[in-house]
Amino acid sequence: MTFALAVHSSKGGTGKTCIAVNLAGAYALEGKNVCLLDIDIRGPSLFSIFKPEALFWVNDMLSGKRGIKDTIHDVSEEFGTKGKFFIGCSNPDISEIREIVRKDRNWQSSALKNLISAKKELDKKNIDILIFDTSPGVEYESINAVAASDMVLIVHNSSIACNSCTEQIIGGIYTPLKKHCVIIDNMCHDNTLQPSEEKRFGIDVIARIPCMCDVATRNDEILTLTERDHIFSQNIYSIKDRIERHRL
Amino acid sequence: MPEDELLEEILAELQEINSKLDRLLTGKKEMVFDPSKKGNIADSLDIITLLSLPDHLRTTATTLLEIGPATAEEVAELTSKERAVESSYLNQLVRMEHVNKYREGRKVYFQINER
Repeated sequence: MTFALAVHSSKGGTGKTCIAVNLAGAYALEGKNVCLLDIDIRGPSLFSIFKPEALFWVNDMLSGKRGIKDTIHDVSEEFGTKGKFFIGCSNPDISEIREIVRKDRNWQSSALKNLISAKKELDKKNIDILIFDTSPGVEYESINAVAASDMVLIVHNSSIACNSCTEQIIGGIYTPLKKHCVIIDNMCHDNTLQPSEEKRFGIDVIARIPCMCDVATRNDEILTLTERDHIFSQNIYSIKDRIERHRL
Repeated sequence: MPEDELLEEILAELQEINSKLDRLLTGKKEMVFDPSKKGNIADSLDIITLLSLPDHLRTTATTLLEIGPATAEEVAELTSKERAVESSYLNQLVRMEHVNKYREGRKVYFQINER
């Protein structure tokens, strides 16, 4: 059965996309069949990393205009991964984004159904891991992705605002939806006096990734595929292993 | 108080609670789903509405959302509850207009409402 991970955070700029992309790369490198979907349809990112020659977008799948198979692209050869590596991008065209903003609750309700159907389709396509890169906070699309997922990776930074918002989202979204969650502390500063925690808000903290400038400056490449010895890559492989242990 | 009288009193209280709940549900229905009013709220079940449901109904609705059209028995298998209990929850969701039901042969199927 396809295992779906929603990479989500309470606040923006915590590094969700970077972690989602590199985690997808790590899984595909290992030989797992992976599909990475850009669910941040109001602020798309994946198109700028993968530059797909796309005819159809994640937007079309959520709208029910196209099936998931028309939406995703195989990038395995380009990145030389052992497993299949598919990506689905959101449409960066501003008129499409404006269209999304106008959508009502009925549209969001059918978008969730289409997302769940897409997951079932990907299962038939032997996809092992489905990763949703979401938008921060309580946006319809993100919560739909959380609802369609089997586990939530909460990407967290050390700001006070992120801390209190995360606690709210755990209590008001993840717990009522009975989602299995893990926390990843990202961009940690070594010069701050933070104790390393095993649990926060009752949830396992599975990684503490240090803040590294080159992770930001080299955001056009997938470090888990291009530089496997990089500290960031090592952290992502370790996250992948921790997720697998949580699944058992 | 003799046992019979006590039971009758409990029964009367339960009926009163039941009718109050029915009124609440009907009232909510009118408030939320009156199509004559402008700015009417959707009658399909979106994720934020689902989150505002009480725990037991949310579990039932989430399960139905994941598996698609299903009988009370099929839902009960996944939620590990009695079929009769799930049937009652599903029918509550039908009354709230989040779910609709239809018959196929001898089986009754439930599915999330679509507009």
